[in-house]
Amino acid sequence: MTEESANNNVNGESLTKKRFFSEELEVDNDQDHGPLENQDSFLFQAPVTTSKVDSESEVDPKELLDMIPGLSGSQAAYLLAKTDTDSDRNMRISSAVGMYFEQQPTQALSKTPEKTRPAVKLSNILSSRSPSAARKKIRDYGERLPKKPRPSVQWRRFIGSIQVSALATRPTAKPLKYGSELKIIRNNSDATSKLYSANGRKKASMANFVRLIDSELGREVGRVPEEVAMVLFPLLDTDELDFEATMIYCNNRRLSVGDSFIIQLDCFLTSVVFETDVNGSSKAKPAQNFEKPGYVTNVVESEEELRLKSRRLALLSLFDQVQLRPVVTGPDETPESTPEVTEVIDLDGGDIENHATVEKDLIQPSQIQEDVLNVNQLKSLYKATLSMESSKHLPETVPDPEVFKLDLRRYQKQGLTWLLRREREFDEASNSGSSLEDVEGSMMNPLWKQFKWPKDLSWTAQKTQTDLSDTQHDEEFFYANLHTAEFSQTKPVLKSLLKGGILADEMGLGKTISILSMILTVPFDKKYLKPKLLEDTSRTEYISSQGLSQAPNHTKPYAFGTTLVVVPMSLLSQWQLEFEKSSAAENAHCEIYYGGNTGSLRTLLTKTKNPPVMLLTTYGTVQHEWSRLLNNGTAGVNGDTMGLFSIEFFRIVIDEGHTIRNRNTRTSKSLMDLSSARRWILTGTPIINRLDDLYSLVKFMRLEPWSQVGYWKTFVSEPFEKKDYKGAFDVVSSILEPVILRRTKQMRDVDGNRLVELPAKEVIVERVTFNRHEDILYKYFLNKAESSVREGLDRGDLLKKYSTILVHILRLRQVCCHADLLGSRDENDEDLAGNKVLTENFNVKKALLNESMSTSMISDDETTMILNRIREKYPNDGSYRNLECSICTTEPIDPITQIVFTECGHAFCEMCILEYIRFQSERQRQIKCPNCRFEVDAKRLVAVKECANGEIKPVLYDTGSKSSKITSLMKSLKRLQDACPGEQVVIFSQFSSFLDIMERELTASFSKSELKVYKFDGRLSMKERSKVLSDFAEKDLTKLKVLLLSLKAGGVGLNLTCASRAFMMDPWWSPSLEDQAIDRIHRIGQVNDVKVVRFIMEHSIEEKMLRIQDRKRSLGEAVDADEDERRKRRIEEIQMLFE
Amino acid sequence: MASLPKRIIKETERLVSDPVPGITAIPHEDNLRYFEVTIEGPEQSPYENGVFGLELFLPDDYPMEAPKVRFLTKIYHPNIDRLGRICLDVLKTNWSPALQIRTVLLSVQALLASPNPNDPLANDVAEDWLQHEDAAIAKAREWTKLYATRQ
Repeated sequence: MTEESANNNVNGESLTKKRFFSEELEVDNDQDHGPLENQDSFLFQAPVTTSKVDSESEVDPKELLDMIPGLSGSQAAYLLAKTDTDSDRNMRISSAVGMYFEQQPTQALSKTPEKTRPAVKLSNILSSRSPSAARKKIRDYGERLPKKPRPSVQWRRFIGSIQVSALATRPTAKPLKYGSELKIIRNNSDATSKLYSANGRKKASMANFVRLIDSELGREVGRVPEEVAMVLFPLLDTDELDFEATMIYCNNRRLSVGDSFIIQLDCFLTSVVFETDVNGSSKAKPAQNFEKPGYVTNVVESEEELRLKSRRLALLSLFDQVQLRPVVTGPDETPESTPEVTEVIDLDGGDIENHATVEKDLIQPSQIQEDVLNVNQLKSLYKATLSMESSKHLPETVPDPEVFKLDLRRYQKQGLTWLLRREREFDEASNSGSSLEDVEGSMMNPLWKQFKWPKDLSWTAQKTQTDLSDTQHDEEFFYANLHTAEFSQTKPVLKSLLKGGILADEMGLGKTISILSMILTVPFDKKYLKPKLLEDTSRTEYISSQGLSQAPNHTKPYAFGTTLVVVPMSLLSQWQLEFEKSSAAENAHCEIYYGGNTGSLRTLLTKTKNPPVMLLTTYGTVQHEWSRLLNNGTAGVNGDTMGLFSIEFFRIVIDEGHTIRNRNTRTSKSLMDLSSARRWILTGTPIINRLDDLYSLVKFMRLEPWSQVGYWKTFVSEPFEKKDYKGAFDVVSSILEPVILRRTKQMRDVDGNRLVELPAKEVIVERVTFNRHEDILYKYFLNKAESSVREGLDRGDLLKKYSTILVHILRLRQVCCHADLLGSRDENDEDLAGNKVLTENFNVKKALLNESMSTSMISDDETTMILNRIREKYPNDGSYRNLECSICTTEPIDPITQIVFTECGHAFCEMCILEYIRFQSERQRQIKCPNCRFEVDAKRLVAVKECANGEIKPVLYDTGSKSSKITSLMKSLKRLQDACPGEQVVIFSQFSSFLDIMERELTASFSKSELKVYKFDGRLSMKERSKVLSDFAEKDLTKLKVLLLSLKAGGVGLNLTCASRAFMMDPWWSPSLEDQAIDRIHRIGQVNDVKVVRFIMEHSIEEKMLRIQDRKRSLGEAVDADEDERRKRRIEEIQMLFE
Repeated sequence: MASLPKRIIKETERLVSDPVPGITAIPHEDNLRYFEVTIEGPEQSPYENGVFGLELFLPDDYPMEAPKVRFLTKIYHPNIDRLGRICLDVLKTNWSPALQIRTVLLSVQALLASPNPNDPLANDVAEDWLQHEDAAIAKAREWTKLYATRQ
């Protein structure tokens, strides 16, 4: 438009005389003024409204009428009124014309075609004309025969018009007739080679090769701008699209070279474009094509690829220019929300506002979507993807009690239906409506977008009555994949041949039971069990459906009756137990493949009469076997003849499937190489850190095409990196939707009941103060850490010192727990693993402590005196055996290491007397011996020490030897043991050496009849683990049972519902891990209220860690896009720690 | 209700199985930290033949904190006020966690045997006691008969 007016100005020609096509004018005036009769003298008013500020800009609406036949006077006036009065007249006219035509795309966009839009109105007027008038029209616009379709084209359909401002390349003798048809041709002389240089770069403009031809004279008239040429050039000589150009405006002048004129370009899709079968053959093709141009940029694109690429770009650009947008089917988009649009043009002035609102409304939705979307919405993605409404309405399948003897909960029965459907075991699933359709849903391939066929507003359709093309189609929509430039009339449903999926129910909903119910319901491959030889390996139907990486190798024996379950080691026995609890069939059995306890797996699973229904193994075993095979020689995993890789399993289930989230780890790689017909993943947390975590899961499932890394990158990783979160999430959602089932505890079933009603959970933070020793140590390390961070911040290289600082932080956290932890490692911090800075000299600790002690220490003489007094009173070992604590009335105090004497020789339990001292001093009361009222000095207490040789001797009691946290724990346990003996308690820590210390101290402080300590950490063998767990679970009403649990070994999967109390000794960076730990006891099966105490040292790094946890909770941990971001986040956290 | 420390259970059991002569203490059904107590007036005291009702409550901090004891029966005693509150060192500053319900109640009984008007709680009674000891004792006897006679 601007170009045009610029040209006019350059030429310096003013519009002196208008050249009328008189006939036309008459017809138009007669016809169109009819409806306006009431608004008399409108034509005279119009100039008034279009102010006369600038005489030059004064435009007679008539001029417009001349240019656009079929335009009513009021419409013209309205259009003019809308134009900028400051511009000169040419400008105004052209923008008015522009506005008029812009109505059409708007119309095309409309989702409610019933509502009368201006353009529709216009066409109504046109069609209501008398036949003679219409005939006249046809004649007027020149010969316009319905285009002869090319032989291959059965039909074509309008998709939109572009108003093109073309440039005259040849002068014309007279003005081009309004409405005359122009031909578009393409200079075919090896254009491609001229367009692209050898390296595939574009060197020439496509506009050079596209020309407009006056079809009457067969003479070139002009060219189109580059952006249009880009569309036309690649698409012109295909049958897939059809273009028609119509002359609209040329100022009614002769054209000189360089003049602008406006044409309307009508675009049509033809039947040809829909002929390729998108759901079938062509599906695989783009997948392969994709990797090449996208990633290997230095490879020269072949001519064919270039052609495809330009075609794709052209289509993309075309859709953009005709403003054809995909139909958004968001839930919040209701047809009612589209404001009522009235005939804007037919009404006058007053309606301008209304029009403006319409425009605003049209723009807004997309803006909102783009602007508001931020990283936090990954969380909502999670929600959107996973808590599908549909899962509520799944029918329930009750497993046959002959094979499965436990009762399933309602949602588990629904889950079973889903699981069976995913395996195409429709016979087993509850039969209501379980067809293939249901399983796949109407899930559209996310790369495809749905488009609505716009109303045919092409020139031909409107101005002539020969719209034969439109009537025969009644489909409302078509589908296009603009990434690959494919089209379809039918919904391109994503069909995956995958059998399997992700069961991602939240922790505690019983994923294990659900999957077991499926394993037992369909324990073997029924199709395969038909009387065939066991050795038969021609199971093409299974293998071909997967596109395995080792696809050519069909020779692996098929363990058609065995499900391999890969679990973390700690869960091995639990799975076995659950299997035994749930399996009802006599011959169904479960084997553990671990530690090389079996001979040849291949023989066991494929040659024996009754192979195990379930084979349990660990990630470690798989990884180990895989590594061994790789190291063994060239054959790799295919060389396996006995182990896990020698067989194709009927089904593989991986528990805690997020274990494989990092696809570069050996564990992950080894799992990928296992062969199976059906592949399942169980995980409560499909995304832990990165969106790409999901990729590993997709890859494991072999969910085509997403399991190809290129595909994933193009549609998920890259959009995400480019901050196109919505795009990435949309794709992820649609990838996952059919294959994932996730329910949360908060979800409600159809009747509105919670899926799971769990007893209440109370988490208390108990703040503990440092004792004197700890305080000194803590301050020492805090100083070191702070100066190190400050240095890093000052010099700006905090990142470089990152691991050093992490060590400092580790020290602080250790001091918070127990001074003896200093020097040990944090096995849970991935960033610290393998860090060598840890070997610091810890004599500093001793030195510090001695220094602090010396000032307050009592002299050796005094010590001897005190100890002697005790010795006198208790001359032999036996005299320690029958002492009563007058505070708790325990008698005898047991074990004797718990005895603490006051200076006056009275015996108490350590905890009792410490509590008494604390109680009294807190209230500033005198501390006197409860028995004799002799003044008690905390420094002059005497403890009993049992030496290694069995000798028992009194020693001065060291109040600092116990960490404050342990003391607090002891008190809590004492109270608990006092009040409810027989309780089971879980104590979590992330430092396994801290667990050791606690074990030692607990056994020293409680008698065996009062309390039993169990410890569960990574060092236990499998057998020991199951023993510890079963012993702990056994109820003993007389004594407290304490399970010391390392986060690493027992944070996931374990079921510890026998306990209803937990103590968390130290805070963890990740609140979700902490929650997961609590969920060990707060899950299905728990009948009591759960009480959790978290010990936090006051004024320490731990308090700040709590704050970081809060931050993580609100930000969502899942959003760490990449390594860098994660590190940045951590640096911020470090700064928070030292604020 | 919060669970009961073992010590309290132990003490309660012993109060029942091995009661102190002249003293009963029965925990309340609803609240095991609340005891209904009776103490017989010591022989050769103005309170002889009387049975005095008391209440005893073990606070949460027991045994770090002393139990709370109060007379419910009206009594004329210089160390016990009209509300039944008792002035007794072991219930206040001289409490020690080594003491128990049993020992506390024995101390109360001993206080009945030997009133201490020099450290009074009920000033008017103490004055009376110091100035007209016989009359005071007579009044105590009378009150005992009037209010503390076992029905």
